[in-house]
Amino acid sequence: MAKKSKPEIKQVSYAKWGYIFIAPFFIAFLIFQLIPLAQTIYYSFFEYYRSGLTIIGPNPVGFDNYKALFDSDFLKYAGNTIILWLAGFIPQIVISLILAAWFTDVRLKIRGKQFFKVVIYMPNLIMASAFAMLFFALFSENGPVNASLVSMGILDKPFRFLASVSGTRGLVALMNFLMWFGNTTILLMAAVMGINPALFEAAELDGCSPRQTFFRITLPMIRPILVYVLITSMIGGLQMFDVPQILTNGKGSPDRTVTTLIMFLNNHLYSKNYGMAGAISVILFIICAILCLLVYFNLNPTEDDKKIRKRDRFKPRKEALNG
Amino acid sequence: MAGITFKHVEKTYGNGVTVVPDLNLEIKDKEFVVLVGPSGCGKSTTLRMIAGLESITKGEMYIGDTLMNAVPPKNRNIAMVFQSYALYPHMSVYKNMAFALELAKTPKDEIDKKVHAAAEILGLEPYLDRKPKALSGGQRQRVALGRAMVRNPEVFLLDEPLSNLDAKLRTEMRSQISKLHKQLGTTFVYVTHDQTEAMTMGDRICVMKDGMIQQFDTPQTLYDYPCNLFVAGFIGSPQMNFINARVEKAGDGYALCFGEAKIRANRTELAPYVGKDVICGVRPEDFHAEPQFMGDGNTIHAYIDLDEMMGSESYLYLNYADQKLVVRVPSRYARKADEFIKLAIDTEKLHIFDKDTELAICQ
Amino acid sequence: MDKKPSHVRTVIAYVVLIILTFLCLFFFYILVINCTRSHQQIQAGFSFLPGKSFAQNFNNVIHDAKLPVLSGIKNSLIVSACCAALATYFSALTAYGLYAYDFKLKKPAFIFIMLILVMPTQVSAMGFINVITKMGMINTLYPLILPSVAAPAVFYFMYSYMQSTLPLELIEAARIDGCNEFKTFNRIVLPIMKPAIAVQAIFAFVQNWNNYFIPALVLQENSKRTLPILIAMLRSADFLKFDMGKVYMLITIAIVPIIIVYIALSRYIVAGVALGGVKE
Repeated sequence: MAKKSKPEIKQVSYAKWGYIFIAPFFIAFLIFQLIPLAQTIYYSFFEYYRSGLTIIGPNPVGFDNYKALFDSDFLKYAGNTIILWLAGFIPQIVISLILAAWFTDVRLKIRGKQFFKVVIYMPNLIMASAFAMLFFALFSENGPVNASLVSMGILDKPFRFLASVSGTRGLVALMNFLMWFGNTTILLMAAVMGINPALFEAAELDGCSPRQTFFRITLPMIRPILVYVLITSMIGGLQMFDVPQILTNGKGSPDRTVTTLIMFLNNHLYSKNYGMAGAISVILFIICAILCLLVYFNLNPTEDDKKIRKRDRFKPRKEALNG
Repeated sequence: MAGITFKHVEKTYGNGVTVVPDLNLEIKDKEFVVLVGPSGCGKSTTLRMIAGLESITKGEMYIGDTLMNAVPPKNRNIAMVFQSYALYPHMSVYKNMAFALELAKTPKDEIDKKVHAAAEILGLEPYLDRKPKALSGGQRQRVALGRAMVRNPEVFLLDEPLSNLDAKLRTEMRSQISKLHKQLGTTFVYVTHDQTEAMTMGDRICVMKDGMIQQFDTPQTLYDYPCNLFVAGFIGSPQMNFINARVEKAGDGYALCFGEAKIRANRTELAPYVGKDVICGVRPEDFHAEPQFMGDGNTIHAYIDLDEMMGSESYLYLNYADQKLVVRVPSRYARKADEFIKLAIDTEKLHIFDKDTELAICQ
Repeated sequence: MDKKPSHVRTVIAYVVLIILTFLCLFFFYILVINCTRSHQQIQAGFSFLPGKSFAQNFNNVIHDAKLPVLSGIKNSLIVSACCAALATYFSALTAYGLYAYDFKLKKPAFIFIMLILVMPTQVSAMGFINVITKMGMINTLYPLILPSVAAPAVFYFMYSYMQSTLPLELIEAARIDGCNEFKTFNRIVLPIMKPAIAVQAIFAFVQNWNNYFIPALVLQENSKRTLPILIAMLRSADFLKFDMGKVYMLITIAIVPIIIVYIALSRYIVAGVALGGVKE
């Protein structure tokens, strides 16, 4: 028994369980995301569509799909998407910041905070397609909104919201705003409440007005969350589909001014033009991948960033000073 | 029969850091052994290797006569008490204690008997239906002990079990654990960084540093005959004083010279060190202020920086020949700060260490 | 001196909050009112008072031959419930695998999931349809349910929650007590994760209840369709000829159950939303 010089005796090791436990996730991801993604990218270089009942392709065509894409209305739809996103996001972030500041301001003793939080978050849980359908019904030519406006004498005849560009875009933006401002407010509030309260007390002692406190203390401190909100909202904006699709019945009317990129993708998927659908997807993927990287570095700051961030805490930022 | 034997055990983590290079340790059956050392010395790793929570990189580890390297924790017949107690927060005290038995498919009435027996010993009977959240720190500690007890393990492993308790409770639990050891008559391996716990509880103490065993012996031996500078400094509170001294020949013996003092030390082991520096260790209580100890060649005359009256005795913080010393003298012989005091050193109890190897020259 | 401006600010704050509350609630108020009124009443003009046609509208919707509403509700329930269960269980399992074990690919695996945290599924929709067609899953509910096993955002929430509530010593204690690794997960870890699982299950349920894009591509048979697709069908039908009472009723069916559950659990849901973002 003295010395069995076996090079390696069997060990108690749990490493394999780690692999077993994470396997389902990665298998599901591989089958339902990675392989599809690879196929999407692959077919984006092929002529592959259905014309009538015959299937053309797949024939390799290099970058032709991409060229065709930029010759079509792709850029117009990208523009639509950005406009619709911005029209919803700008009021959303402004209102959310103001609400977060109010809700967390100890001097502004707002009652019923919990009630307001519950109410403003509610639209986020609503089925977007049902919400769009509701808006369509409410804002249609002979819907209740027009009826009320006419009967109150504000309009002399019904306004055709869905026939005007700004009307339709405005409705989409309004819905996006309503659906997301509550969510953003709650995220920002949590971030503000995560700030050491002593900091606000110190600022008050130093003679900061509420406005100064907001711009010089609160804003710089919640910057990481703001970045997170911004990027996830951009990704959400890129995905915009349900609301304009249902509201305009997939037509993007009037004159395809509310057709978003995903609606465009959806049209190609329906008409089984896999090559073009692939090309749109790849471009969306590249944009999303960049945004994903930004989120990653925002959530997992490298060591250097952490140091910089810590230092920033004690130094009013330039933007804040200008504000 | 549940002694524990380590034979040339090495532990290297995945990142290439070797925590324990070559461990040889024999713990006897029914012994209470304390592993003690500063944080990062490998004591917890050693305990966790016994438990099977860490794999053994090289070498062999036996419990009784069985090679344990590849045996999963549940089959080692051990129980462990964790520093954070690790009680299952969603189970009642009773469930926490019964869980292991349930998993082992013990019959219900037997579980009930064992849990109640353990609860009685630990005074937990009134709390059996509570969740851990509703217990005080001391009660949680006892539940953790109870959970280990009900399994009748051959080996009890305790990983800093008292470090989350306040000072008073800690003293109380110390004696309770010692009592438990006698009652159960099983092998206890106890990890701590607190030398007081080690000294008061262990049959034998294993002092570790950098993954290596410095000395493994009874508390008395460790205290009286530390084998190197580290053990000498680690065991005992306040710490042993270390004085840089030069060995000189004095008559037919030797003397240790520092400042104006020439302390006689008639040890033949000092012969090779004549003219060289050594480190001389003196425990605080081996300085004496009482007149009957004063003799020829054993006194120093030192300046008091600070005095702390502890009741019957006082700690004096001295500055002598640019070296800081702590001494413990009866309060009625003590002096106040900023005064001088004459002290005798008990030359029988000198510890002398080689300056380079830090090993004891003579004890 | 400082009192007055703060007073004005309070008033402004309340005014804005009330306007926003009105915006959030008003449309649902109209919805609920209109679903109780008959087509003729709705056409005749708007009223703030409910009508008496609720049961009539409900019956009309349920028994519409062209709109399989009952099977739609059933399909939506199946998909959402299964997704909620799969997403939370497997996300917790994945998070546990990466949290509690040490293995070579641990870090790469974690970084990978973090990288795809916010990647939308739409970008691979084309390949997704191809793959599930080849697997024979087109026009079934499986392709809507199974992908939930890989839910990076739920994973991230679970992982953060574990970091704050699950000490590794607890797992080791279970190991010594004789639990095997699966039992440890099911009997020790899952009960501790209950609050996180509840919150994420609600979110996963709602998200899949509302999901439209992928189901619309996958489900082609009437009997397989989920509620959002039925609503889209309603929209593409000749709208003017439609019974408006039925339209509002179908929207109500799609929205109101979620709202009721939300109001009942709002405290936890709002807290859950906040938790999702508190991570620097």
